Amino acid sequence: MLLVAPATGTDQVVGLGLVAVSLIIFTYYTAWVILLPFIDSQHVIHKYFLPRAYAVAIPMAAGLLLLLFVGLFITYVMLKSERVTKKTQ
Amino acid sequence: MLPLVGGRRLNLVRFSFLLLRGALLSFLAVIMTKLAQWLWGLAILGSTWAALTTGALGLELPLSCQEVLWPLPAYLLVSAGCYALGTVGYRVATFHDCEDAARELQSQIQEARADLARRGLRF
Repeated sequence: MLLVAPATGTDQVVGLGLVAVSLIIFTYYTAWVILLPFIDSQHVIHKYFLPRAYAVAIPMAAGLLLLLFVGLFITYVMLKSERVTKKTQ
Repeated sequence: MLPLVGGRRLNLVRFSFLLLRGALLSFLAVIMTKLAQWLWGLAILGSTWAALTTGALGLELPLSCQEVLWPLPAYLLVSAGCYALGTVGYRVATFHDCEDAARELQSQIQEARADLARRGLRF
């Protein structure tokens, strides 16, 4: 019989942290893109949000950074495996 | 006036219907793969968004609607990413551990390593 136990401490913390981060990002971004245009421009809430152009610029920059890191990681792994095969030859 | 009578006219109607249906289906590609479906969907949604944002359709949308519309692709991407991140986090948090199976697996890995090392495989 397989004895199953609930996830260990670190797993739960990391998992719930990821859920919280994703919820925060989602609500802030939704408020920024969807809700703000319908709120009167003199309202105080506009103080908490950057100008609208950043709503596209920041995710695009983040996406490009992600691609950069993925590319660097792939390069690193490929170089490491090349070095290993060269050593065994 | 059609010189056909009775059965012959029915055959002409049936024939032309089949011809039309064949033409339509060969245009739409009867077997559409999932990739083709996704690309079609994206193309249709993308062209709708482009038409609306550039004002090519000539509709006068209220300014607030226009403000919501133009970042929409970025918004959908970010929300899809958030959904993926949240789902992964939730599954990590609720994944059940199997202590016995983990220990058994570790011992089997040690056994296998020792065996392969004895047979000459270098790690």
